[in-house]
Amino acid sequence: MRSSARRSWLARACKPAVLVGAASLALVIGVYWYMALRPGTNPALVPSPPAILKALRDEIASGDLLVNALASLTRVVIGFVIGASLALVLGALAGWFRYAGYVLNPIIDALRPIPALAYIPLVIVWVGIGEPSRIIIIVLAVFKPCVVNARAGMKEVAQIYVDAARTLGASRWRVFTTVALPSAVPYFIAGLRTGVSTGFLALVAAELIAAPSGLGFMIQNAGQYFRTDVTIVGIIVIGLLGALLDQIASRTGRALTAWSDVRREP
Amino acid sequence: MTTRDANPGSVGKLAVRGLTHRYAMGPPPSELTVLSGIDLVIARGEFVCIIGESGCGKSTLLRMMAGLLMPSEGEVLHDGTPVRGVRHELGFVFQQDAVFPWLTVEKNVAYGPTSRGVPKAERERLVAQWCEAVGLTAFRKAYPKQLSGGMRKRVDLARAYANSPDVLLMDEPFAALDVQTKAEMQDAVLELWRSTRKTVVFVTHDLDEAVFLADVVVVLSSRPGRVHAIVRSTLARPRSAETRVSDAFAAAKRTLWTTLQDARGGPTAAAAKEARNTASKTTTERA
Repeated sequence: MRSSARRSWLARACKPAVLVGAASLALVIGVYWYMALRPGTNPALVPSPPAILKALRDEIASGDLLVNALASLTRVVIGFVIGASLALVLGALAGWFRYAGYVLNPIIDALRPIPALAYIPLVIVWVGIGEPSRIIIIVLAVFKPCVVNARAGMKEVAQIYVDAARTLGASRWRVFTTVALPSAVPYFIAGLRTGVSTGFLALVAAELIAAPSGLGFMIQNAGQYFRTDVTIVGIIVIGLLGALLDQIASRTGRALTAWSDVRREP
Repeated sequence: MTTRDANPGSVGKLAVRGLTHRYAMGPPPSELTVLSGIDLVIARGEFVCIIGESGCGKSTLLRMMAGLLMPSEGEVLHDGTPVRGVRHELGFVFQQDAVFPWLTVEKNVAYGPTSRGVPKAERERLVAQWCEAVGLTAFRKAYPKQLSGGMRKRVDLARAYANSPDVLLMDEPFAALDVQTKAEMQDAVLELWRSTRKTVVFVTHDLDEAVFLADVVVVLSSRPGRVHAIVRSTLARPRSAETRVSDAFAAAKRTLWTTLQDARGGPTAAAAKEARNTASKTTTERA
């Protein structure tokens, strides 16, 4: 198993999807590079790729990048854990138990069309501009896709499994915990993956407003000093961190749904 | 099997009394009578097949016996007490694949006993016994997706039997299987029935299956579903692969086929009636 995975690494790298994809990315970088080197372009505003790499090295050497990345990561993890847990519990209850649905559905559906960022002014007025307000924004952003997916997943539970459990003597609560919840896991995972990315999105937005640290703070601050190279480094790191979190979420999800022969890749 | 006329005092293991079921349709609002005036008494330990063309309500009838559906009129009695909801004494095997894909084979088999709070040691014994009985001991730790359709049906059977039910209700459990696997599963189900002597009610639309398995075949007519005839099998037991190609099997199948044609009320109905008359006491009795 392991050796075949290693052997196929090269084969995988030679696939058209990978080759053409890499070429496409290289083209974008090439066009950017060409624009940066054109005479008349201000290198302070459009730094060349080597200048960006140098800024990256400097940011790593000074430790600023690590401090800011860790600050952002901590916020997003705390916000994600709170938002996702709340969403899974409430979404599962709302999707499964009729009366829980009557109580929770109006709230969920009222929150649904409102972008999390719209709460920023309100959150600042109510809880100030400290750490809690930034986490609240992330919680709100994570909560929405997770709760909607969790509820949808509970609606899709196959009746045949419910009937089978009931004829085997399972109580209503046991049907909920041992049939409905596990069979909705693929939906939960889809929600969590969307939640990770929307949470990350909200994080940067929250940090743009009066944060003492974080990647959002870093790019905003650098922008104010015309350090475009540092801003671009920050943007790239945000992208990489987001992709990393998404990978963690999707791998965890795959491990949890190893029993399923259906692959849901959102 | 006895009918209410033949043995009015008997309550049987499972009884259906005056069961009628209507189904609201619309728009425009109208009512479809799926089942009408069903009376059945199923004796302890019998293997009963219910047969009828598709849409005759045979699955609906079985779901009502299990308490999964409530009839519009009439009732189902299990040991003389009305069935008003699912009860673990009435095991059910579904037509679709109902094995929980997120649980291993052994956890599937243990599901019923775990639900009822059976102590761990006893649960472990039940799992071992029933995995062995259906030939899945080597696959106890496997997930259902690693098994073939026939093996998943074995898990389904083991899960139903491991819950120590009193009656097994099977709703066309082998309809989706290929011919060879189906025959193997029929042998397996007869072996389970022989070794446990538990009452089985088995719904099917497959004549061969009904003839091979049943002590008694209940033939339903359609729209609305009514008990058209109750045919007692003349085939000897134990039944094996040779049974399937015997003359007795062919004769029993022919009898059942003519009865089924008669139930359909088609052009062959008259011929079927004649066949039934000549087949005399091996065959039927109108309900």
